[in-house]
Amino acid sequence: MFVPPVAGACAELSGESAAPALADWCAGLRGAALTIDGLSCRFGGLVAVDDVGLQVEAGEHVALVGTNGSGKSTLLRAVLGLQGRSRGRIVLDGTDARSPGEWDARRRLAPWIPQRQATGRFPLTVDELLDSSGHRAAAVGVATRLGVAALARQPLHTLSGGQLQRCFIARAFGAMANGGRLLLADEPTAALDFDGRDTVAGLLRALPASVLVATHDRAVAARCDRVLEMANGRVREVRM
Amino acid sequence: MSADTLAAVLGLAVVHRAIAALLITGVAMPVVGVFIIGLDVVTMRFAMMHVALLGVAVGLMTGFDPTACAVLLCAAAGASLAPFAGRRDGLSGPMVMLMTMAIAAALLVLSISGVNAAGAFELLWGSLLAVGMRELVLVAVLAVAVLAIYLGFRRPLALLLFDIELARCSGVRVEALATLLLVTVAVAVAAALPLTGALLVDAVTLLPALSARNLARSFDGMVGLSMVFGLVGNSVGFVIALLVDLPLGPILVLTAGAITLLTFVVGRKR
Ligand SMILES: Nc1ncnc2c1ncn2[C@@H]1O[C@H](COP(=O)(O)OP(=O)(O)OP(=O)(O)O)[C@@H](O)[C@H]1O
Ligand SMILES: [Mg+2]
Repeated sequence: MFVPPVAGACAELSGESAAPALADWCAGLRGAALTIDGLSCRFGGLVAVDDVGLQVEAGEHVALVGTNGSGKSTLLRAVLGLQGRSRGRIVLDGTDARSPGEWDARRRLAPWIPQRQATGRFPLTVDELLDSSGHRAAAVGVATRLGVAALARQPLHTLSGGQLQRCFIARAFGAMANGGRLLLADEPTAALDFDGRDTVAGLLRALPASVLVATHDRAVAARCDRVLEMANGRVREVRM
Repeated sequence: MSADTLAAVLGLAVVHRAIAALLITGVAMPVVGVFIIGLDVVTMRFAMMHVALLGVAVGLMTGFDPTACAVLLCAAAGASLAPFAGRRDGLSGPMVMLMTMAIAAALLVLSISGVNAAGAFELLWGSLLAVGMRELVLVAVLAVAVLAIYLGFRRPLALLLFDIELARCSGVRVEALATLLLVTVAVAVAAALPLTGALLVDAVTLLPALSARNLARSFDGMVGLSMVFGLVGNSVGFVIALLVDLPLGPILVLTAGAITLLTFVVGRKR
């Protein structure tokens, strides 16, 4: 398994124009193991996730690829309790969340980059979004790296699709700095331009924590330790 | 109106209470309106009218204080909506359900108890110039509660009203906060009914919030602007009604409506 050296990771995460403070949060990062066992999620008669078992070791980066509608997003959402399960275990860092308190802890351990970023019914600024990560400095640092920090006072519904995605990525990195140990990234590069894809693929690779990323982006998948393929709600390992 | 009559009118205790009610509702109800729009429960006023009616009916039948029954029942109705707040389909479906069931139940209760239905419906024709001390105090208490909730939960509120999943993922106790909001909104609307009447509730609640949404760029901005619009609308409306000597209610609605229209035009140009 490729373990990025922390110093290199910090340089990557902060870019050349590194603020020294960035090194602090990134040096404290580490991964947690995720074990999914016999997980099924249904939507009425449709079995979106079908008896899935998978393992992400602490610090390991795993890509989840597969056709549209194969169940990747549903799986990630189930890890966060945003999606109910009909059976199975989802153990992160030794705990299978059941109570509301455990789910709260789970969501803090596992920051999420949603595939469909909310623009909301209500005005919320980029700044407020970054702040919601719980670690403003880290989120702003990554937003700077991604070129969206200047939009701080802009309401989210006025951003372009790619700008919005960059903001949610920055937020997720901030949340990693706030005690996150497994990043759940759902198509994090889908709306990005060519440069943005490269940058984000590099940022993900540099993250010294566990990563489970659902993606159709070969560059992102190629930089993961392992690639799993989903088809019709089931998972199998593939070689890239 | 001549200067003498104007002075006489302004000296009346009922007018003092009306002014107090206008100022209090002008500051607090727009914030309730922001919550209402954010939770997507714009039909809350209709629902609470019906639930309050049921409360009054129950009060008349059982001999308990009708207003207290109405407020309690509205609080319960608000709380009962909370479990739906986290669902994707939103709250409008459950609201319609609640509303129709409540009115049916109210009519049944009235029919069974044989009390005069007109007494219950009086609730809906509240008037600022008939505000009693009791109603005024109730609204003042709620106004303080509403402002305290806003100040105490600014950050989680902004997230919850923006997107419930983002709020959940940011550690916001979504269920608890949604319950608190829904109960507060329900009770505030019910408490404002006898002050303003059913028609005016929307003018002091929803219109300032809508005006604010047309211009605001952040949650705090929206709350602040809605309060400004609420206060300005109520004050200007009151003065106009006095000067032209026309009924207060419709003039207030028209003033608030004119402000909303203006913000819509200005907001589109930006
Ligand atoms: N809320 C829902 N209600 C009903 N069916 C749903 C819902 N969400 C997803 N599905 C169905 O579940 C299946 C899996 O959806 P999911 O979003 O997990 O796919 P995915 O692998 O993420 O696809 P994509 O690559 O397009 O993002 C699909 O068939 C989809 O239609
Ligand atoms: Mg998906």
